[in-house]
Amino acid sequence: MRSRGSMLLACALFGAALGFTVSNIGFGDYAELHRMFTFQDLRMFFAFAGGVGFAAVVLGVTLRRRPPRTPVHAGIVPGAVLFGAGWAISGGCPAIPIVQVASGYLPALVTIAGITVGMRACQWFTTRYFPVDRGSCGM
Amino acid sequence: MTGYWPWWAGALGLGLIAVAYPLWTGRTLGVSGAWERVLRWRSEREVERDSAVDDEDLVAALVMAGREEFGEVAAPPEAWPQGRGAVAPDGLPAAGGPARGVPPWSELVPPPTGSAAGTSAAHAAARRPLPVLCSAVLLVAIYLGGLLAAVTSGRFRWRLDMGAGFATIVTANPVVMLLLLFGGGVLVGFGTRLAGGCSSGHGLSGCSRLQPASILATAIFFGTAVAVSLLLGRVI
Repeated sequence: MRSRGSMLLACALFGAALGFTVSNIGFGDYAELHRMFTFQDLRMFFAFAGGVGFAAVVLGVTLRRRPPRTPVHAGIVPGAVLFGAGWAISGGCPAIPIVQVASGYLPALVTIAGITVGMRACQWFTTRYFPVDRGSCGM
Repeated sequence: MTGYWPWWAGALGLGLIAVAYPLWTGRTLGVSGAWERVLRWRSEREVERDSAVDDEDLVAALVMAGREEFGEVAAPPEAWPQGRGAVAPDGLPAAGGPARGVPPWSELVPPPTGSAAGTSAAHAAARRPLPVLCSAVLLVAIYLGGLLAAVTSGRFRWRLDMGAGFATIVTANPVVMLLLLFGGGVLVGFGTRLAGGCSSGHGLSGCSRLQPASILATAIFFGTAVAVSLLLGRVI
């Protein structure tokens, strides 16, 4: 059982931890990101994959029941393609532009504006033309 | 590049966040989902107010129906045992009374089978997203965490470019840079919401829970990012 205050505290603590961690890994640095995506330096890839692996092992041991599977809906493939292209171009994914602004990169505010427009556009598009049952983010 | 953490320290940090967040909140971490909810602040608040009333009405109606059918034998929801593994008076798993809040792991546990007054309503309440204020707090906290990292590491500096890397790899023209950042941002915003998650929602949370949809999405957005990055220097 968690109270509203406890949830707010969790979001504050883990949000700050996420921002601190991804910044110190180097995800806010476009050159570092490009080196990862072009296989020149796999340090960040190993950090990400290692984090996933660590969490998978701990959650696998901790969970007594396997979580229900989320469906592979029709938006997964086109959405992931668009996201991957945008990530490579802008360096944002979408927490990263926030971290970039926090590091002093003011043009990342334009990335944030673009993400906002893109989310609004997706909401409009999926409402009218492409209704899919999305939502794997549990926030 | 000097000053960044070694891969194992980053892996440990991300892994601990991916484990501790759902343990604490009973939800999975997703930044794009939080962002979208903040953009829909007004409607999300209305939904929160309506659902709170609906839950109370629904539970009250179900309890009344149960009493009419079975009399006053069953204990009221307030008397049900709380927490995972607890057993309600009817022998079904206690889902936690809606008035008592949300049990941990509720997001990760499938809906209970069987029908007991209040059980489905309780589960619906348990699966309700966090208050939209939590999403806003998460985004602000990401900024503060990034600021703390930049300041303590000595990397913080106000600047009007995206660094030497962007200028070398993509463009040094400030107008083209802004156009590409905006266009890339639109793709990120549209794509993450169409896919239903981002590198934190699908990549970190979903893959660590071995969700096939998240593994597929992560493979595709990483693969696309690799292909686009390899093409960037040649096209622009």
